[in-house]
Amino acid sequence: MRDERNSGRPNRMPSGILGLDETIDGGLPRGGVTVVLGGAGAGKTTFGLQVLACGARNGEPGILVAFEESSARILANTSGFEWGGDALSGKPIHVFDAQLSQSVERGGEFDLVGLLSILAAKVKQVGARRIVFDGLDVLLGYLGDTALARREVFRLRDWVYDSGLSAILTAKADASDVRPTAGYDFLQFMADCVVTMHHRVIEGTALRYLRVTKYRGAEHSANELPLTITRSGLEVASNSTSERHHPAANERVSSGVPRLDAMLAGGYHRGSSVLITGAPGTAKTTLAAAFAEAAVIRGERTVYVSFDEAPEQIVRNVASVGIRFTPHIDSGLLHVHSLRARSESPEAHVARLRALIRDTSARNLVIDPLSAMTQRGCEGEADAAALQIMDVAKTLGLTSVSTSLLGNSLPLVEHTPFKISTIADTWMHVSYEKQGGERNRALTVIKSRGTAHSNQVRELILTEAGVTLADVYAVGGEVLMGTRRWEMENDARRAQISAQSHAALRERKAEHLLAGTKAQLDILSRERAIQEAELVLLRAQAIAETDSRTGQDDELLERRHADPATPLPSGENESNGRAP
Amino acid sequence: MHVRLRLYLAGASPNSVIALANLRAALKEHPDRIVDLELIDILADPARGIDDGILVTPMLVKIHPLPERRILGNLRDREMLLGVLEVGGCEVE
Repeated sequence: MRDERNSGRPNRMPSGILGLDETIDGGLPRGGVTVVLGGAGAGKTTFGLQVLACGARNGEPGILVAFEESSARILANTSGFEWGGDALSGKPIHVFDAQLSQSVERGGEFDLVGLLSILAAKVKQVGARRIVFDGLDVLLGYLGDTALARREVFRLRDWVYDSGLSAILTAKADASDVRPTAGYDFLQFMADCVVTMHHRVIEGTALRYLRVTKYRGAEHSANELPLTITRSGLEVASNSTSERHHPAANERVSSGVPRLDAMLAGGYHRGSSVLITGAPGTAKTTLAAAFAEAAVIRGERTVYVSFDEAPEQIVRNVASVGIRFTPHIDSGLLHVHSLRARSESPEAHVARLRALIRDTSARNLVIDPLSAMTQRGCEGEADAAALQIMDVAKTLGLTSVSTSLLGNSLPLVEHTPFKISTIADTWMHVSYEKQGGERNRALTVIKSRGTAHSNQVRELILTEAGVTLADVYAVGGEVLMGTRRWEMENDARRAQISAQSHAALRERKAEHLLAGTKAQLDILSRERAIQEAELVLLRAQAIAETDSRTGQDDELLERRHADPATPLPSGENESNGRAP
Repeated sequence: MHVRLRLYLAGASPNSVIALANLRAALKEHPDRIVDLELIDILADPARGIDDGILVTPMLVKIHPLPERRILGNLRDREMLLGVLEVGGCEVE
């Protein structure tokens, strides 16, 4: 699943709450006491159980002591989580009902000695490492007198330390959500770590967040961490306070159609808004779905909102062009939601979308079709609502793709039903073009802020394998599509083959000539070699002859006992009278 | 009238000792009450405490007559205790 192995720090316990551990120095204090405060319904019990479930996965048995709700109810409430419900049975999590329900009356002082003894025996029996005391405020209420409460809580804390357990104590906070109910401030002082959980409903949207208000000896963010509740349980949402996501200034995300990405210098700008308009049947949904598919393949959560079409229908429709939503829906990355356009006001739709985005921590949004909101007949409201949705998406850094129904002709600005076309960063229009007896789909990028894009109309082609754009053939100022494009492509192909053959032929001729020249060169160089050799030989012979003549003369003279001849000066006779 | 009680204790821990003493004293003062008392030491028999869902002690439970009542603490509150024993023929709620 996800990496819960301890970051290596022995004094930190992984919480199992996605996105939390990295803000709290690797996890909750091991061997220490964490107090979780919050109002009713804030999620304290879920917090505790999620930590226990995480422990169970990592071979750390755990114990839950329930003072407020019954164990059966607590466990039943976890059935919506992938680690909860039936998944908990058979796991080493032991639940104790120490229920002090309303009907228990207070008849004097009491203490935790008995409880801790029983727990100690269990800890030893199962080797428990984690323990949650849920609803401690109920216990404290019965202890009443603050001095007594303080004494018993410190007894509890000392017991936790001695037993080497890591403990979580949950308790209700007062209306501020930050302080324990009156008189129990000491809870915060004695704890090693204090987490406060908040749950508010604002403008119809549920907002949850968590805050680590204290963590002894650890670096932690004191920020509010927005929370969502998903099938994984509590999760720290990561897309708003963006310490983690720093989109590069010019980061591009794929439109899902590679050739369209090429047209747009890489794709849509991350965090931008894209509007796709066109007549019915012009494949706007396909383009929007392609974007969604590319996004989830990148591993980014995406929300696909449709008006008046059931999710199953959408999945089927896009499957016909090779877009597979099902595996991504199963993995939880893709959320397909269907809203009924007529059933609520545009404002209600906005609130719902806002909540959806927050609940899923989505980074990408598709609304198909955005124009469904105008069907109520109050265009002014719909305009405003549509603008609001774009605004929400922008503020949260989402990349959004919306589709809108329009007539077939290329719309001029004043004909668009929304001012959205001015808000949208990229606006593309798909229309049907009739050519040579066929209707083909044409895509035009009308505008794309921050991108140099071609004004050329391209043909949009849908097949079972997917959606793509066809090459442009502009002949006499007209773009060719469909069969005529195919014919032109064939001609172009033939022309290319012909050109290639001609080039090959010329090449061969040149090679032949070159070979001929080379051959001639060969012959000449061989002749040269021979002539050089002859010259050398001649020189050698001349020298040899000279040497030999000189040698013969000398020998003759020796035989005749004459001294070696000295070279005669020119014109003088021999003086010793010998016979020449 | 027959009263059935269970007193859950934690061995000889102070509050448990006091609770038992208080209960015995009250019973002595009113010998006409017929009381069926079961003492459960959850240190000696933790399984019983777990099964019955009583882990915080001392806890006095009146099983009979209905309605069931649970009193947490060392029973220093004599009035409440007498009410449980239904002394005087009327219940103190």
